[in-house]
Amino acid sequence: MQAQDVTLPIHAGSVRFAAIGDMGTGAPPQYDVAQRMLQFHEKFPFTFVIMLGDNIYGGKSPDDFLKKFEIPYKPLLDTGVQFYAALGNHDDPNERFYKFFNMNGQSYYSFKKGNVHFYALDSDYLDPKQLAWLEKELADAGSTDWKICYFHHPLYSSGAFHGSSTELRTILEPLFVKYGVQVVLSGHEHVYERVKPQKGIYYFTEGASGELRANNLKKTDLTAVGYDKDRSFLSIEISGDDLYFQAVSRTGVTVDSGTIRRPLAIQAAAP
Amino acid sequence: MRRPLRTTVFAVVLAGALRIPATAAPPQISPGGPEPRMFQEFTRLVQEYVKLRKALPRERITKRQDEIVDRRHTLAQAIHEARAGAKQGDIFTPDISEQFLKIIRSTLQGSANARKTIRQGEPVASLRLSVNGAYPEHLPLTTVPPTLLLRLPQLPERIAYRIVGHDFVLQDTEARLVIDFIPGAFP
Repeated sequence: MQAQDVTLPIHAGSVRFAAIGDMGTGAPPQYDVAQRMLQFHEKFPFTFVIMLGDNIYGGKSPDDFLKKFEIPYKPLLDTGVQFYAALGNHDDPNERFYKFFNMNGQSYYSFKKGNVHFYALDSDYLDPKQLAWLEKELADAGSTDWKICYFHHPLYSSGAFHGSSTELRTILEPLFVKYGVQVVLSGHEHVYERVKPQKGIYYFTEGASGELRANNLKKTDLTAVGYDKDRSFLSIEISGDDLYFQAVSRTGVTVDSGTIRRPLAIQAAAP
Repeated sequence: MRRPLRTTVFAVVLAGALRIPATAAPPQISPGGPEPRMFQEFTRLVQEYVKLRKALPRERITKRQDEIVDRRHTLAQAIHEARAGAKQGDIFTPDISEQFLKIIRSTLQGSANARKTIRQGEPVASLRLSVNGAYPEHLPLTTVPPTLLLRLPQLPERIAYRIVGHDFVLQDTEARLVIDFIPGAFP
């Protein structure tokens, strides 16, 4: 990837991160994406990565943790990049005790970076306790900062394999609307998709950072931009009221980019 | 360097835990269904398990993946030994099972979305379950419909409801053990 391929502005003091989902295969494509992220990081120095679930597929032996996480992302870890995981349906809940995942022993949790609140949810097990926690967290955060939720199962998706998680949507979306969540990121479908704003909220699916279901997007009226030809990762920068995003394929091609401004309005999208 | 934990120590601790007096502080468990009285006995039985479980060392945050895996295995072994006589139906007794089945059936009949959630959660094929048996680590976890969770008694930490094939399971999430299950609860 060439330097000019980074479309993000890299403003001083901005919040910069990457998002990956469904990556923990330990297979060569995961390593390819990790290498591409490292190259991207040299030009766009993101400080953390959010993981959208299915972080460790299959076996959960110590070697699996190495092969499916520590080795592919070691160069990023070595530069000080932190990872914040959400659990997917292929994950072991005990991953929340894994220091590198920054879950602090919780299957759902929040953290703040700059003017952005992040909420990592456990969409495998959305019980009343978690919902009560989320509502309190969102309410306590007020209305001046960005609020970004991420979890494994997409509320809106044009993926043919799973599609939208409509039951989760009926429960979560009212909370997101009520408390002003602006952006939601998920995985589960092994494609990249940006959905047209739904009730004022931008939804991204990035479930192709290791796994891939090629040609599995049945683009619908939901789809703003989709990519299902190869693996990918998403990078995001937030500066003041602007959120800039750029989705990059395994081969370094920018497959989506644009800006979201508060109050929410999309300003550009490419290609 | 691996640091295996001592199963035998856990087993001794567990044996003591089984004799915790009734004056011990009750664990957090709050029935969330519309008729909590139905679940009083279930709550009591879960509390017994929690008492046993509280005597065990907890997982702790670590960078060492081998420590996480060792603890899980050791914990599972210790629970297995302490509940060596446990069998299906000890917690999901026939009366309790019937109450759960009523809620499961009415939820699924009343909500296409709940049925869809299970389908989307990559349901595992039928698996031969056993109490104290481990849930295979390579298999995914089927999403439990949140509309169902809203109607069931809430569980303490480290215990969760699971759907495995057609069966409804009470699982120890850290040990990945089956605590008890209702066979054939899901069509």
